[in-house]
Amino acid sequence: MKQQSTSLAVGAALPTVMRTITQQKIDAYALASGDGNPLHTDPAFAANTQFGGTIAHGMLLLGYVSEMMTAAFGEDWLTGGRLKVRFRATARPGDTLTSAGTVTSVEGGKTVCAIECRNESGEVLVSGQAEVSRS
Amino acid sequence: MTTLAALEKGHEFPPASFDLSEEWVDAYVAAVEDEAIGALDGGFVPPMAVAALAIRALLENASLPPGTLHIGQELAFTAPVRRGETLTVAARIASRGKRAGWALIAVELRVAGDDGTVMTGRVTLSFPAAEGTAV
Repeated sequence: MKQQSTSLAVGAALPTVMRTITQQKIDAYALASGDGNPLHTDPAFAANTQFGGTIAHGMLLLGYVSEMMTAAFGEDWLTGGRLKVRFRATARPGDTLTSAGTVTSVEGGKTVCAIECRNESGEVLVSGQAEVSRS
Repeated sequence: MTTLAALEKGHEFPPASFDLSEEWVDAYVAAVEDEAIGALDGGFVPPMAVAALAIRALLENASLPPGTLHIGQELAFTAPVRRGETLTVAARIASRGKRAGWALIAVELRVAGDDGTVMTGRVTLSFPAAEGTAV
Protein backbone atom coordinates (compact mmCIF):
# COMPACT_ATOMS: atom_id res chain seq x y z
CA MET A 1 0.00 0.00 0.00
CA LYS A 2 1.33 3.38 -0.95
CA GLN A 3 2.39 5.52 1.97
CA GLN A 4 1.47 9.16 1.69
CA SER A 5 1.29 12.02 4.11
CA THR A 6 -1.83 13.85 5.04
CA SER A 7 -2.48 17.05 3.09
CA LEU A 8 -0.69 20.15 4.26
CA ALA A 9 -2.37 23.54 3.95
CA VAL A 10 -0.78 26.76 2.77
CA GLY A 11 1.31 28.17 5.58
CA ALA A 12 1.92 24.81 7.20
CA ALA A 13 5.43 24.18 8.43
CA LEU A 14 7.23 21.02 7.38
CA PRO A 15 8.81 18.88 10.11
CA THR A 16 12.27 20.29 10.70
CA VAL A 17 15.42 18.19 10.54
CA MET A 18 18.30 19.22 12.79
CA ARG A 19 21.79 17.78 12.37
CA THR A 20 25.23 18.70 13.69
CA ILE A 21 28.06 18.50 11.18
CA THR A 22 31.24 16.71 12.18
CA GLN A 23 34.33 15.83 10.19
CA GLN A 24 33.47 12.18 10.77
CA LYS A 25 30.08 12.70 9.11
CA ILE A 26 31.68 14.55 6.18
CA ASP A 27 34.17 11.71 5.77
CA ALA A 28 31.37 9.13 5.86
CA TYR A 29 29.49 11.03 3.17
CA ALA A 30 32.65 11.35 1.06
CA LEU A 31 33.13 7.60 1.24
CA ALA A 32 29.52 6.80 0.36
CA SER A 33 29.20 9.38 -2.40
CA GLY A 34 32.63 8.89 -3.92
CA ASP A 35 33.31 12.63 -3.65
CA GLY A 36 36.65 12.73 -1.92
CA ASN A 37 37.47 16.32 -2.81
CA PRO A 38 40.15 17.34 -0.25
CA LEU A 39 38.21 20.53 0.38
CA HIS A 40 35.83 18.25 2.29
CA THR A 41 38.15 15.62 3.68
CA ASP A 42 41.65 17.05 4.17
CA PRO A 43 41.84 19.67 6.94
CA ALA A 44 45.43 20.59 6.06
CA PHE A 45 44.54 21.17 2.41
CA ALA A 46 41.32 22.99 3.24
CA ALA A 47 43.09 25.28 5.69
CA ASN A 48 44.91 26.86 2.76
CA THR A 49 41.77 27.54 0.74
CA GLN A 50 39.42 30.50 0.82
CA PHE A 51 37.33 28.59 3.38
CA GLY A 52 40.11 28.16 5.91
CA GLY A 53 38.98 24.65 6.74
CA THR A 54 36.89 21.76 5.54
CA ILE A 55 33.30 22.24 4.46
CA ALA A 56 30.45 19.78 4.12
CA HIS A 57 29.31 18.55 0.73
CA GLY A 58 26.32 20.49 -0.57
CA MET A 59 24.69 17.17 -1.36
CA LEU A 60 24.95 16.16 2.28
CA LEU A 61 22.85 19.18 3.17
CA LEU A 62 20.36 18.19 0.48
CA GLY A 63 20.21 14.77 2.11
CA TYR A 64 18.84 16.51 5.20
CA VAL A 65 16.36 18.49 3.09
CA SER A 66 15.24 15.29 1.38
CA GLU A 67 14.69 13.61 4.75
CA MET A 68 12.42 16.50 5.69
CA MET A 69 10.46 16.12 2.46
CA THR A 70 10.17 12.35 2.89
CA ALA A 71 8.89 12.84 6.44
CA ALA A 72 6.31 15.36 5.22
CA PHE A 73 5.15 13.75 1.98
CA GLY A 74 6.08 10.09 2.17
CA GLU A 75 6.26 8.16 -1.07
CA ASP A 76 4.92 11.11 -3.04
CA TRP A 77 8.32 12.79 -2.61
CA LEU A 78 9.98 9.77 -4.19
CA THR A 79 7.61 9.59 -7.15
CA GLY A 80 6.81 13.22 -7.87
CA GLY A 81 9.26 15.43 -6.06
CA ARG A 82 11.08 18.37 -7.57
CA LEU A 83 13.77 20.51 -5.98
CA LYS A 84 15.50 23.66 -7.09
CA VAL A 85 18.04 25.18 -4.72
CA ARG A 86 20.99 27.49 -4.49
CA PHE A 87 23.90 26.91 -2.18
CA ARG A 88 24.47 30.26 -0.51
CA ALA A 89 27.03 29.52 2.20
CA THR A 90 29.05 26.62 3.49
CA ALA A 91 28.55 24.27 6.43
CA ARG A 92 31.55 23.44 8.60
CA PRO A 93 32.32 20.88 11.26
CA GLY A 94 30.65 21.99 14.48
CA ASP A 95 27.74 23.69 12.75
CA THR A 96 24.25 22.66 13.77
CA LEU A 97 21.97 22.84 10.78
CA THR A 98 18.21 23.09 10.66
CA SER A 99 16.30 22.23 7.52
CA ALA A 100 12.87 23.79 7.41
CA GLY A 101 10.10 24.49 4.96
CA THR A 102 6.73 26.11 4.58
CA VAL A 103 3.91 25.26 2.19
CA THR A 104 3.40 28.21 -0.14
CA SER A 105 0.72 26.85 -2.47
CA VAL A 106 -1.50 23.84 -2.97
CA GLU A 107 -3.13 23.58 -6.35
CA GLY A 108 -4.16 20.84 -8.73
CA GLY A 109 -2.55 18.09 -6.70
CA LYS A 110 0.74 19.94 -6.50
CA THR A 111 2.14 21.25 -3.23
CA VAL A 112 4.85 23.89 -3.42
CA CYS A 113 7.13 24.64 -0.48
CA ALA A 114 9.78 27.22 0.26
CA ILE A 115 12.68 25.36 1.81
CA GLU A 116 15.92 26.34 3.47
CA CYS A 117 18.76 25.09 5.56
CA ARG A 118 20.30 27.41 8.17
CA ASN A 119 23.16 27.13 10.60
CA GLU A 120 22.92 27.89 14.31
CA SER A 121 23.63 31.57 13.64
CA GLY A 122 20.62 31.81 11.36
CA GLU A 123 22.71 32.10 8.22
CA VAL A 124 20.96 30.61 5.20
CA LEU A 125 23.15 27.96 3.61
CA VAL A 126 20.64 26.51 1.16
CA SER A 127 17.43 28.03 -0.10
CA GLY A 128 14.96 27.23 -2.81
CA GLN A 129 11.74 25.56 -3.70
CA ALA A 130 10.43 22.03 -3.50
CA GLU A 131 7.33 20.67 -5.20
CA VAL A 132 5.45 17.46 -4.67
CA SER A 133 2.83 16.10 -7.03
CA ARG A 134 0.38 13.79 -5.36
CA SER A 135 -0.30 10.63 -7.26
CA MET B 1 41.62 12.23 -16.43
CA THR B 2 40.02 15.11 -18.29
CA THR B 3 39.22 18.15 -16.24
CA LEU B 4 35.76 19.64 -16.37
CA ALA B 5 37.33 22.95 -17.33
CA ALA B 6 38.40 21.51 -20.69
CA LEU B 7 35.01 20.19 -21.78
CA GLU B 8 32.84 22.10 -24.21
CA LYS B 9 29.10 22.73 -24.17
CA GLY B 10 27.32 19.69 -25.55
CA HIS B 11 29.92 17.23 -24.31
CA GLU B 12 28.29 13.93 -23.39
CA PHE B 13 29.76 11.84 -20.62
CA PRO B 14 29.97 8.09 -21.17
CA PRO B 15 26.96 6.32 -19.61
CA ALA B 16 27.76 4.82 -16.24
CA SER B 17 25.93 2.07 -14.38
CA PHE B 18 25.61 1.60 -10.64
CA ASP B 19 24.25 -1.22 -8.54
CA LEU B 20 22.32 -0.06 -5.50
CA SER B 21 23.61 -2.76 -3.20
CA GLU B 22 22.27 -3.16 0.31
CA GLU B 23 25.72 -2.26 1.63
CA TRP B 24 26.00 0.94 -0.36
CA VAL B 25 22.48 2.09 0.46
CA ASP B 26 23.06 1.37 4.16
CA ALA B 27 26.28 3.38 4.05
CA TYR B 28 24.52 6.29 2.33
CA VAL B 29 21.56 6.30 4.72
CA ALA B 30 23.93 6.19 7.68
CA ALA B 31 26.02 9.03 6.26
CA VAL B 32 23.04 11.36 5.80
CA GLU B 33 21.30 10.07 8.96
CA ASP B 34 18.04 9.69 7.05
CA GLU B 35 15.49 8.47 9.56
CA ALA B 36 12.49 9.06 7.29
CA ILE B 37 13.25 6.69 4.42
CA GLY B 38 13.29 3.69 6.74
CA ALA B 39 9.80 4.56 7.94
CA LEU B 40 8.46 3.75 4.47
CA ASP B 41 7.86 0.12 3.63
CA GLY B 42 9.21 -1.07 0.32
CA GLY B 43 12.99 -0.97 0.51
CA PHE B 44 13.16 2.50 -0.99
CA VAL B 45 16.41 4.30 -1.66
CA PRO B 46 16.54 7.99 -0.67
CA PRO B 47 16.11 9.99 -3.87
CA MET B 48 19.08 12.13 -2.99
CA ALA B 49 21.19 8.97 -3.03
CA VAL B 50 20.34 8.62 -6.70
CA ALA B 51 21.43 12.21 -7.25
CA ALA B 52 24.67 11.51 -5.41
CA LEU B 53 25.33 8.57 -7.70
CA ALA B 54 24.67 10.69 -10.76
CA ILE B 55 27.20 13.24 -9.60
CA ARG B 56 29.65 10.43 -8.83
CA ALA B 57 29.36 9.42 -12.48
CA LEU B 58 30.55 12.88 -13.40
CA LEU B 59 33.47 12.73 -11.02
CA GLU B 60 34.60 9.41 -12.44
CA ASN B 61 34.83 10.89 -15.91
CA ALA B 62 36.14 14.39 -15.32
CA SER B 63 38.09 15.86 -12.47
CA LEU B 64 36.93 19.08 -10.88
CA PRO B 65 39.21 22.08 -11.28
CA PRO B 66 40.73 23.33 -8.00
CA GLY B 67 38.35 25.61 -6.16
CA THR B 68 35.19 24.22 -7.73
CA LEU B 69 32.01 25.21 -5.93
CA HIS B 70 28.63 23.52 -6.18
CA ILE B 71 26.33 26.51 -6.44
CA GLY B 72 22.99 25.14 -7.58
CA GLN B 73 20.98 21.98 -7.99
CA GLU B 74 17.74 21.08 -9.69
CA LEU B 75 16.24 17.62 -9.38
CA ALA B 76 13.04 15.88 -10.41
CA PHE B 77 12.20 12.43 -9.09
CA THR B 78 9.83 10.53 -11.34
CA ALA B 79 9.79 7.00 -9.95
CA PRO B 80 10.76 5.37 -6.69
CA VAL B 81 14.03 3.47 -6.60
CA ARG B 82 14.49 0.33 -4.55
CA ARG B 83 17.47 -1.45 -3.11
CA GLY B 84 19.09 -3.89 -5.48
CA GLU B 85 18.24 -1.96 -8.64
CA THR B 86 20.82 -1.09 -11.28
CA LEU B 87 20.76 2.48 -12.55
CA THR B 88 22.34 4.07 -15.59
CA VAL B 89 23.43 7.69 -15.57
CA ALA B 90 23.69 9.88 -18.65
CA ALA B 91 25.07 13.40 -18.45
CA ARG B 92 25.92 16.24 -20.78
CA ILE B 93 27.24 19.75 -20.43
CA ALA B 94 24.21 21.93 -21.02
CA SER B 95 25.77 25.35 -20.76
CA ARG B 96 28.97 27.19 -20.05
CA GLY B 97 29.56 30.79 -19.15
CA LYS B 98 31.91 33.15 -17.43
CA ARG B 99 31.24 35.87 -14.90
CA ALA B 100 33.61 37.99 -12.86
CA GLY B 101 36.54 35.67 -13.41
CA TRP B 102 34.58 32.52 -12.62
CA ALA B 103 33.50 29.85 -15.06
CA LEU B 104 29.94 28.61 -14.71
CA ILE B 105 28.99 25.22 -15.99
CA ALA B 106 25.66 23.41 -15.92
CA VAL B 107 25.46 19.65 -16.37
CA GLU B 108 22.21 17.90 -17.15
CA LEU B 109 21.70 14.48 -15.64
CA ARG B 110 19.31 11.66 -16.44
CA VAL B 111 19.15 8.49 -14.40
CA ALA B 112 17.25 5.46 -15.61
CA GLY B 113 16.34 2.10 -14.15
CA ASP B 114 14.97 -0.98 -15.85
CA ASP B 115 11.56 0.66 -16.34
CA GLY B 116 12.70 4.06 -17.54
CA THR B 117 13.75 7.41 -16.14
CA VAL B 118 13.76 7.75 -12.36
CA MET B 119 15.44 11.13 -12.00
CA THR B 120 16.49 14.11 -14.05
CA GLY B 121 18.53 17.00 -12.83
CA ARG B 122 20.85 19.86 -13.46
CA VAL B 123 23.93 20.65 -11.41
CA THR B 124 25.56 24.07 -11.57
CA LEU B 125 29.23 24.36 -10.75
CA SER B 126 31.60 27.30 -10.67
CA PHE B 127 35.38 27.46 -10.62
CA PRO B 128 38.08 30.09 -11.19
CA ALA B 129 38.34 30.73 -14.92
CA ALA B 130 41.95 30.23 -15.89
CA GLU B 131 43.51 31.22 -19.21
CA GLY B 132 42.38 28.81 -21.90
CA THR B 133 39.34 27.63 -19.99
CA ALA B 134 36.66 26.60 -22.45
CA VAL B 135 33.69 28.91 -22.09
